[in-house]
Amino acid sequence: MSAILAEPKLRLEGVTKEFPAPRTGVRTMAVSDFSLEISAGDFICIVGPSGCGKSTVMNMIAGLDKPSSGRIAIDGVPVTGPGADRGVMFQDYALFPWLTVRENIGFGLRNGTPGRGLSSKDLEDRIDRHVELVRLNGSENKYPHQVSGGMRQRIALARLLANGPDVLLMDEPLGALDAQTRLVLQEELLRIWGETEIREKRKTAVFITHDIAEAVFLADSVVVMSSHPGRIRRVLPIDLPRPRNEQIRADPRFAELHEEIWSLIRDEAYRATV
Amino acid sequence: MSVTIDRPMVTSSGQALLRALALPVALLVVWQLWALTLPVDTRAPSPASTAEAFVRMSATGDLPLALLQSIGRVLSGFAIGLVLGTVLGTAMGTSPAFRRNIEPIVESFRPLAPMAILPIAILWFGTGTPAALSLVGYAAFFPMLLSTAQGVSRVDRKLVQAARTMGVSRLRIAAKVIFPAALPSMVLGARLSMGVAWTAIIAAELAVGAKSGGGASGGIGEMMFVFYSYSIDMNGIVVCMIVVGVVALLIDRLFRLAEHHLIPWRH
Ligand SMILES: Nc1ncnc2c1ncn2[C@@H]1O[C@H](COP(=O)(O)OP(=O)(O)O)[C@@H](O)[C@H]1O
Ligand SMILES: [Mg+2]
Repeated sequence: MSAILAEPKLRLEGVTKEFPAPRTGVRTMAVSDFSLEISAGDFICIVGPSGCGKSTVMNMIAGLDKPSSGRIAIDGVPVTGPGADRGVMFQDYALFPWLTVRENIGFGLRNGTPGRGLSSKDLEDRIDRHVELVRLNGSENKYPHQVSGGMRQRIALARLLANGPDVLLMDEPLGALDAQTRLVLQEELLRIWGETEIREKRKTAVFITHDIAEAVFLADSVVVMSSHPGRIRRVLPIDLPRPRNEQIRADPRFAELHEEIWSLIRDEAYRATV
Repeated sequence: MSVTIDRPMVTSSGQALLRALALPVALLVVWQLWALTLPVDTRAPSPASTAEAFVRMSATGDLPLALLQSIGRVLSGFAIGLVLGTVLGTAMGTSPAFRRNIEPIVESFRPLAPMAILPIAILWFGTGTPAALSLVGYAAFFPMLLSTAQGVSRVDRKLVQAARTMGVSRLRIAAKVIFPAALPSMVLGARLSMGVAWTAIIAAELAVGAKSGGGASGGIGEMMFVFYSYSIDMNGIVVCMIVVGVVALLIDRLFRLAEHHLIPWRH
């Protein structure tokens, strides 16, 4: 009952985004008529071919980019700009090259709103915990250019999580990791999101990925997008029980869902390769 | 234009030092041998006579005094150019509208060598320190302005966006993101500025010395002028030349050292 009346955490209504080409001014439609409601505590995965507008949608939710038309609201309040309530992990990490691994992870806590009111001891503890979470102990004092791509991705993830945002916006956050680390961090991510908690205590997550198995493993629903223009092809609820662990990958339902999503994007994926 | 910052040579071993000294020593030997072939009453300087002149000029205090005077002027003029260049360069790098307006003015003055504005500097400020400062400031201003503008305008937008999604205020973004991101460019600009500032002060003092007809402690440039036009002392001129060169080298080394400390993530 209250679920019907309650505002969704995140509402996108007929959102479109056009980019004018730099010289010609010809407009390309990157995202078209994108409507989606995400309840508080939902874990949403967005999958779709490269260039279908996934990052563009995320930037608009983050408030870094304005929709050309349509509306985006958080808790019923229109988004007018970025805020620390919506943490972003960028596809290319956006780490500060002049800060060490540890300083990068602590940047928001030290300089932004997330660290307000924290004693310096709490602040250091929180940074410590997130350094450990992504297993970067021992590399804390290196600079980003001195560590591997996978480690950079973990720094960005730790920085996002250390800020403790309400809404997690993640753009292919595990894409550069080796298979094992990736599986470990998927489970870790579910734990941080609040899988073992009651719904009210969970964060809201929007997670962009190329990996269908990853989407099925993580999501409450998977948004399948198609390109030119970027549109929602289908929203698939993932009716797998929680908490999820490695065994769920052997569940026949897991394979079914995987196949269903794959069949939705297969044609386009083949077209993109030729 | 890409900004490359080379690493300072770390010559810890004595062998490396020997190798670095080999060429200068060889040149000195050749110079001395050549000087020995000349008539005894020659004005041509030799290493020995130059060293003698250096000791004499140092002992009287003339050389250290002139050097201090010149260095003091360079540092003050450099500071003026640095501050103006940083402020206007930041505005240029931040605001495309400001850049569009100021760029034509900058580009039309930039090729004008500092010496070319000397007549106006002298008319406005006389032949003393203010004229020299304005000249050095003018010379130091342009490299700093352009490097700062470039550094600020090329800050990775993603980094600013990332900070905004962490609830960092505009002012703090300027201090904690834009400034460090532009710093390598600015340090390079400062190094170039200091180089031209040192060149400009010598030229300015030489020229101002010519007009005022000499006098005490007009800096090392004026000292050279006096040697040239009054005492015709080649040894003194060579001593000044070497001192000017060595100071320029030391300044540059100092900057590279500072780079090492200011931009540790680049090394
Ligand atoms: N700032 C921009 N200016 C112009 N075109 C853009 C810009 N950002 C994205 N696009 C275009 O919009 C489309 C969607 O891009 P993007 O959201 O990055 O896709 P995805 O993240 O799904 O790979 C692409 O065709 C891309 O070229
Ligand atoms: Mg993308």
